[in-house]
Amino acid sequence: MPLLELIGVTKRFGGLVAVNKVNMRVEEGEFIGVVGPNGSGKTTLFNLINGVYFPDEGKILFNGRDITKLAPYKRAPLGIGRTFQIPRPFLSATVLENVAVGAMFGRLGTNLGIDEAFEIADQVINRLNFQTLRDKIASNLTPIEKKMMEIARALAMKPRLLLMDEAMAGMHPGSINEMVGFLKQVAVEEKIAVVSMVEHIMRAVVGMAERVVVLHQGSIIVDAPTKDALTDPKVVEVYLGKASEE
Amino acid sequence: MKWKYYPYIPVLLAYVVLFLIGKGVSGMWQLMSMLFFYCALGQAFNIFLGMTGYVDFGYVAFLGVGTYGMAITISKLSYLQGYGILIIIAGFLLSMFIATLLSVAVGAVALRLRGAYFAIATIGVNEGFRFLIEGAKIWNGSEGIIFMSDLNRIIGSKSASSLCTFWADVFVVIIALLAALVTLIYMRSKIGYALMALREDEDAAKVMGINVTKFKIIAFITSACFAGLLGASAWALKTPYVFPPEVFEIHYTVEAIIIVLLGGAGTLLGPIVGGLVYGLSKYYLSVIVPGFQLLIFAPIVIIIIILFPEGIIGMIKKRTKGRWVERFII
Repeated sequence: MPLLELIGVTKRFGGLVAVNKVNMRVEEGEFIGVVGPNGSGKTTLFNLINGVYFPDEGKILFNGRDITKLAPYKRAPLGIGRTFQIPRPFLSATVLENVAVGAMFGRLGTNLGIDEAFEIADQVINRLNFQTLRDKIASNLTPIEKKMMEIARALAMKPRLLLMDEAMAGMHPGSINEMVGFLKQVAVEEKIAVVSMVEHIMRAVVGMAERVVVLHQGSIIVDAPTKDALTDPKVVEVYLGKASEE
Repeated sequence: MKWKYYPYIPVLLAYVVLFLIGKGVSGMWQLMSMLFFYCALGQAFNIFLGMTGYVDFGYVAFLGVGTYGMAITISKLSYLQGYGILIIIAGFLLSMFIATLLSVAVGAVALRLRGAYFAIATIGVNEGFRFLIEGAKIWNGSEGIIFMSDLNRIIGSKSASSLCTFWADVFVVIIALLAALVTLIYMRSKIGYALMALREDEDAAKVMGINVTKFKIIAFITSACFAGLLGASAWALKTPYVFPPEVFEIHYTVEAIIIVLLGGAGTLLGPIVGGLVYGLSKYYLSVIVPGFQLLIFAPIVIIIIILFPEGIIGMIKKRTKGRWVERFII
């Protein structure tokens, strides 16, 4: 049974079909890159998976359970975590508190006391080598630090599926490598499936994803192992335009 | 894990000092009673406004129905002589009950709205309730309820006068202390973190597994409960009569908002500082520059808000970060 399964999912905004009959499967512990130019429906796809929008057609199954119309706050406890394209930290709180909130209401949330949530937050922060920022107020962080904190917050939720929206954009290549390495390690250990979405086919995706799903105008045009996907003529066309006839 | 309730010490201290000044210095009790009321009002309102970031313009309606709760209980049960204290306890319970009912009704509808829309939706609640009482002649309609004689009958005229002039204020202090304690307990529990998260970013909070509607309603009902109790003691027991236009006056909501914002929204000590600054300025400005107090007070509020956008306690909290006093300030 796949961890996540989308069956014929469609979402329209007025006359615009943002996501068009998408079928997709994510297996446990898998690394998937969702690639597509601006406006191709990536963010909408994420919003459908974690319940910000409900689809007009189709079904979404998580771990075999139908979550098509499940409220977003009920999905996090099932194990769906997410980071945002533009980080959305709780600005007045410290880094530790931000991360602890993730633990408090995440997959282990219901059985977790406050103190245990803070312990988990501490562990995640230590693993990310984030100790120096631990007690900093989130509004004082740099944009990159905010991104890192958001990833920490999502990991503290102990997700089974982690949706990352442009998580590495704007990061220093060195930090990206470090981050990718770290994420892979944690994901393998904790059996987290990661779906990472990027606008451009970056080194980060290549290094991380086992499979790439290319979205174009709301539809999946390619769903293949990373190496094959990158050389697929349809993908090249989407990014570079059609080869000239001459 | 270390003890988490240090910030309650300054709260207790503040009320003890005010109480001692009121008892010890002659002629001060009246001023202290006003300060108690403003601090308690801020403390109760802070649980909703401060912790969720939602502005409820109809807040005074909860004090209003609380006042009615006590007034009805005393006037209807006044034939039960010899049960004085029990009747007053029943009055508090009824006040709390009506305020809770009203908050559930208002919250269930209005809390589905976000930000400014919520504020607009609640702006008519107090006026609506006032016209309902007057128009439908509920609870004596616009004639109000005058229950001084009923109060005299159930506890005797001597106790009644000490109830109005002293014990009503003591009850206000107790309500303020309880509201502060509940605030601190919330802050140290998942409820507090959920409210912080939804105040900062409601959509992110939802995606992180927080049932935002549930936590908003918890804060709303708690806050309304204390408002009901406050109406019952500061308004009903202190002045044993109630008229609809007086207890549904939006002016009090505005005062509550100023107190919370001055002191620091969402902080524990903010409402006390805000209540003191507001109450003292109001009192002394009207003595020093009678008639012009608002003209002087308005710029003071503006200056404080510009200098300390997070309120006075918000600013102190930042300045004391990392020092030993930090543990007392929240």
